[in-house]
Amino acid sequence: MDQPIWITFIVAFVIMNVLLISMAYATWFERKVLAAFQDRRGPTRTGWHGLGQPLADAVKLLGKEDLIPAGADKIVFRFAPVIVFVTAILSAAVIPFGGTIELFGREINLYITDLNVGALFILAVGSAGVYGIILGAWSSANRYSLLGGLRSAAQVVSYEIVLGLSLVGIFILTGSLSLKSIMERQAETISLGPIDLPNWFILSQPLAFILFIVAAVAETNRVPFDLPEAETELVAGFHTEYSGFRFSLYFLGEYINMIVVSLFASTLFLGGPNGPGSDTYWGLGLVWLFLKALIFMFFYVWLRATIPRFRFDQLMGVAWKVLLPLTLANILVTGFIRLIANGEVF
Amino acid sequence: MSELGVEHFLFLSAALFIIGMMGLLTRRNLLVIFMCVELMLTAVNISLVAFGWETNTLNGQAFAIFSISIAAAEAAVGLAIIVALSRRIRTVDVADIHELKD
Amino acid sequence: MPWDVIIFYIIATVSVLAALGVVAARNPVHSAVMLVICFLNVAGIFVMLGAEFLAIVQVIVYTGAILVLVLFVLMLVDPEDLPSFSDSQPLQRYLGAIIGAVLLLEVGAAIITRTQLAPQGQATPANIDAVGGNTQAVGQVLFSDYLLAFEVISLVLTVGILGAIALAMPERLGERIGVRRGTISLSHTRGTDEALPAGPRGETPIHIDPDRPRPHEDAPRRVILVTDPDERTTLEGDRRQSTAARQRTTGTSNNE
Repeated sequence: MDQPIWITFIVAFVIMNVLLISMAYATWFERKVLAAFQDRRGPTRTGWHGLGQPLADAVKLLGKEDLIPAGADKIVFRFAPVIVFVTAILSAAVIPFGGTIELFGREINLYITDLNVGALFILAVGSAGVYGIILGAWSSANRYSLLGGLRSAAQVVSYEIVLGLSLVGIFILTGSLSLKSIMERQAETISLGPIDLPNWFILSQPLAFILFIVAAVAETNRVPFDLPEAETELVAGFHTEYSGFRFSLYFLGEYINMIVVSLFASTLFLGGPNGPGSDTYWGLGLVWLFLKALIFMFFYVWLRATIPRFRFDQLMGVAWKVLLPLTLANILVTGFIRLIANGEVF
Repeated sequence: MSELGVEHFLFLSAALFIIGMMGLLTRRNLLVIFMCVELMLTAVNISLVAFGWETNTLNGQAFAIFSISIAAAEAAVGLAIIVALSRRIRTVDVADIHELKD
Repeated sequence: MPWDVIIFYIIATVSVLAALGVVAARNPVHSAVMLVICFLNVAGIFVMLGAEFLAIVQVIVYTGAILVLVLFVLMLVDPEDLPSFSDSQPLQRYLGAIIGAVLLLEVGAAIITRTQLAPQGQATPANIDAVGGNTQAVGQVLFSDYLLAFEVISLVLTVGILGAIALAMPERLGERIGVRRGTISLSHTRGTDEALPAGPRGETPIHIDPDRPRPHEDAPRRVILVTDPDERTTLEGDRRQSTAARQRTTGTSNNE
């Protein structure tokens, strides 16, 4: 289990770079899928099927002028986008990409660290990420930005509760907050008569899965919950005043958040890298994890192409009046089932 | 002190507590005062956990969790009071809030 | 020096400096940012003390919820309502510093000279590992020794939520529907910008006074708490009573 720290550094370096590259291609993926939904072709000019588009985008964004508004709070204005980016990257530290493998005669863990409180770590880092949005909005000295920041604060605080409580069912079933034990738990199979099913928590916690997905979309500020940046009413909200490199940090942060949440959801509910053949070949596990995360990414784009934006009072009403009671009911039922299974009641 | 002992944490806790207290005494903005109270509560949590760490007990951590919950309830009520104040008498300056005194 | 001591000193220095920043910053938003930094470092201290679960709770509850709400309220409150930093009484300031210094000396003396030690408990690192980790160990303590306290806490939180709702609710229930007096409408930008159209009564075109006061630096931070959105928007005839009332105190008048 224990490995020298330099191997962990290499794993972390690889994971971070893979995340950044996949973020670039997530934008390409989103454009292509969105174009297909709208009967267009999407980017085609840069390279084969427009695969060079992310590169062109990066050059365009970095070449833009870096503007700071006159009334802005300069230090906070410069600092805020970095918070979003760093917290987005940091969440990936606890996601397990597999177990321990043999490579070049060494044992290598396919995860950066296995925290005892891993699932909560992702929630905590995610909740710290909202400061990037609030402070960026406040420091821009712009009314639309400020409204976007206020909306974001209210939204994230509300949906954070739903997000956290929807996972409690899984914690009750697993008896651990560590993502690695949650992943290992889902490698087991349950047999219902003739059929063998994987012990994925989407099967035992379907309600929690739906609640988690709704709250996760709200946490990542995506359509239909993208009120902090609602283009049509708030003119891009919290990042109205940002341009060039600082804007691209917000942009990177948003897409990396999407990827990390997709990986997180796959680990929690779809068994992570578990799948046919993943016990024998670890590479197959990575492929399974990638495909599962891709399902969620597609779901994000699908939502964006299909559903209009919520109104703000509807957004808060859904969180507090519908989702929160459902999560509490889910915890209650799961707890009772666990007690009955343990033979402690009846 | 070249070895990490409980005194390190106690001094840190004392420093944070007293900084918070000085802010509480000198600032006039109700929101800053509120933040200073949170700082003092956190400083006490450090002491509780440090004592528990020294004696190999978990009571300190349990106390700290209770203290954080109380802080959350206090934040909800305190911020509601601040919002109500700024709405009714349009100030969050503690020197201007003297309706009960008069 | 061993590594843990060096790391402790780094974390402690940053958290103390950030705490000083909370007290000394002129802008309350800067205070809040400093407090976030301080609390993140305190979470690091908790990790050093072997309390991982508490560290995460600290981050989620304090930085993720309480301070977000503080920033939220900071942006809701009209900055003109905020007291300026400079006019705190010097007497209070000196007295605060003296009392702080004296208390620090006393507590320091108490820490150095303390002799009594509590009896050692069972929660050694080996025992904690045996039950699965810090989270599991704290859970067992919370739900056995402190079960009653835990239930009482949940009651306190419920009462806190009810109290917060009762305090922050508009005075009359009817006001929530309709004009939204005194509440903040995050869903509509009307009423936050004097140049925006005036809504239901706004059939007249927008009128912008050429010699109106031009708010710049502090403009976006003072607009949010709107008692009546229509008062803020400019109409021919009955214009901007609230801003006019405010300007009367400064001497300039905008009324025809």
